Formats: sequence, C-alpha cells, structure tokens
Amino acid sequence: MPQKPLHPPDDQLLLWLDGELRSAEKAELSAHLESCWTCRARVQALESTILDFVRARNQALDPALPSIAGPRALLRARLEQDLAKTAPPRIWGMVRAAAVCFSLAGAFLLLFEFRVRADGPQPDATLTPGEVRPISLDQVCRNSQAEVVVANIPDDTRRKVFMAYGINPAKPGDYEVDYLITPDLGGSDSIRNLWPQPYAARWSAREKDRLEQRLHQLVCAGNLDLATAQHDLAGNWIQAYKKYVPTQTLQR
Amino acid sequence: MAQTSSLLARFATERVASSPAPSRLEQDVVALFEQLRNPLLRYLRSLRIPPADGEEIVQETFLLLFRHLRAGKPRDNLQAWLFGVSHNLALKYYSRAGRENVESPGLSDRPDFAPNPAERLEMLELQQNLLVVVDALPAQDQRCLALRAEGLRYRDISRILGISLGSVANSLSRSLARLAHRAGEGKV
Repeated sequence: MPQKPLHPPDDQLLLWLDGELRSAEKAELSAHLESCWTCRARVQALESTILDFVRARNQALDPALPSIAGPRALLRARLEQDLAKTAPPRIWGMVRAAAVCFSLAGAFLLLFEFRVRADGPQPDATLTPGEVRPISLDQVCRNSQAEVVVANIPDDTRRKVFMAYGINPAKPGDYEVDYLITPDLGGSDSIRNLWPQPYAARWSAREKDRLEQRLHQLVCAGNLDLATAQHDLAGNWIQAYKKYVPTQTLQR
Repeated sequence: MAQTSSLLARFATERVASSPAPSRLEQDVVALFEQLRNPLLRYLRSLRIPPADGEEIVQETFLLLFRHLRAGKPRDNLQAWLFGVSHNLALKYYSRAGRENVESPGLSDRPDFAPNPAERLEMLELQQNLLVVVDALPAQDQRCLALRAEGLRYRDISRILGISLGSVANSLSRSLARLAHRAGEGKV
C-alpha cells in the first residue's frame, strides 16, 4: 500500500516561497510540490493572499504619499549644510596634513611600534573605522546601564589587532584591546571595531568606559539617538567625552 | 525595484577605501532616497507614525546614511541599514515625552481618502477587509509583515526588530493565515 504523502505545514510553504529554506529542505519540498497537486494549490492560495495584501496595502498607502520633489530638495540642502559644517577649511587641512606628516615621522623614529598616541589615544581610522551590527533600542536598553565590557576577545583576534597596529607582542599587557563602538551600543565583534588602547595614557580605557556608560544612559533616556552615539564613539571619542560626560567628573 | 537593487549593489561593491568625492556621494545618497523614501514612509506608516513626522524621520535617516558613508563605514546591505535606522528613530520618537499616545489612523482608516461611487465600486470589499485584519494584528506582527512587504529578508527583519529568525517566520505565517481566513470569508 503506497505511503500517504506527508504534506508540509503552511509555514514551510511560506519559507519555500520566500526562498528562506536551506538547500536540502528546499530540494525536498520542491520535489514534493512537483508530485502533490494539493500542496501546489495551497502554495497558489498563499501567493494569492500575499498578492491581495500587497495590492490592498499599496492602494491604501501610495495615494497618501506626498510628492518627492519637496523632500528631495530639502535633503539636498541638508546634505550640503552637513558637508559645509564638517569639512575642514582648506588651509587647516594643509596645516593638519603637515602636522600629521611631522608626527608620523617622529613616531616612526621614536616609537615605531607604538601607533597610538599616548596623550590622546585614537584608533587608526583605516584599521579601525568602527563597525556596528543592526540592533534595536529595546535591545540596547535591556540592561539599565552599559556593562563595562571586559572584552572577551579571542587571543588570536588580539594578536591580529596588535600586529595591525605594529605593537611588539611582548607588551600586550600594556593595552586593553577595546571595542571602538561598545557592543552595548551596537558595536560589532569585527576586527574593524577593535583597537589597542593603552592603560597608562592620559586618556585611558577607564575614561572610555565612563563615556560609554554615559552615552548608554543618554540613549536610553531618549536624549540622544543611537546612531549619533555610535557616530560620536567612532569619531573622536575624547571630544565625545568632553561633550557628553558632565564637567564635574572631568578631572583633567 | 531592479533599479534599487542595482544601486544598492553599486554601493556595496565600491571599496570603502576609495570613497567617492562628497558631491558624487551626495548624488548617490539622493538617488537612493528617490528609490527608498516611499518604502520607508510606508513602513513608518505601519508603525503609526503621522505622515509629517515620518517624512522627518526619513530625512534624518538619509542624513545619517550620508555621514555613515562619508566615514567610510560598511556599505553592504544598506537597505536593511536604512530600515533599521528608521525603526530606531521611530522608537525614539515614541519614547519622547508626550508622544506615548500618538493616535494615528491605521491602514483601514484613511481620512484623506474619500472614494467616489465609482472608486467605491473598484475598491474591493476584500481589500478593505484585509486592511482591517492587518490593523488588528499585534504590533510586532504588523512590523514583520510591513518589512517583508518592502522586500526585506527574514534575517534583516530579525535584526531590525531584535527577534529570532523563527519568530519572524512564525509571525509571517500567523499573519498570512489570518489574512487568508478573512479573504476566504470575503470570497464566499
């Protein structure tokens, strides 16, 4: 007696339609659909429901959308304003370029393995531009305050970070391999979000931890949006510290 | 949609190290705005954000995108990035004092849409019924459905909403079952 075919549940059919099944499951279900008229009819019904929903939704929403012309012009103006606000003056750019060349030469001669400035350690933007993972505000604010992350970073990754920054492997204890954007604010585990921060520097890892806690507090109180907090951490964190951490705790 | 895909693909393939000049970047961001502004507005509408505030959130989202790209940050899957940022800005909007009780009509209530008799005939009762079902879904299910309708993959929806992949699949399946049930009733 032929075995009665097992029909897949609706959620499997939807996953198949949406291309979300793993290849083995997909092949199995495709084979089943080739042989099963009932399930093909169910797939068609599912597609028909999706079609009806999308059509109804678009008919309800699209006529209510205002023309794009005004918002597009506004966006252009805002982008230009943002550019003008953040672009350094040309002369300043040249001065800065000269200063960078000078300091790089000095650093190479004196501390060729030490690519993080002791008086204001900043990550190298080409090595550590900062990277985030998608995260919701609910997830960010699940803990009442940001944990001081004792980075559980594999030794192999630490070694790669030290190597990228040209730090002598004999001295890794002088540094904390730190997240540029803390995971509590959506920072990723990628090496592009990790850098060696010296403990002994004037602006140390402890200050950065304090800043991260303060930003977490502001974001979860609704006083700062998450994207701005991430942006400011990935930029100049010392400036961000001066901007966000109350002055009474600033003891420098 | 094909245009959007090719634009997103171009963003993803350009190397971060060779970030385009600001004017070129500006043009690219505006081009992406032209493609994705309406989908984002529709999503924000499903979060019950009033239209004018939705427009402002979309503006802010693209301004953040501009800064994100200028800083040479990752540019793969910018569609999911944009929806994620808009979603977070919408949550922030709700968390601000005095906005907890924002009353914005659902999909089935359209004060700005007054169909004439001919349109009323055209507007299938079935479609109106479906919108009523959508409005009655739990908020999270509405968000899943709206993000999927805008072409996001399950993994992106799961990241944006902070739920598991299984929860996304269950939510969509549950919502479609309700819609199918209502559609079945309407067709009888």
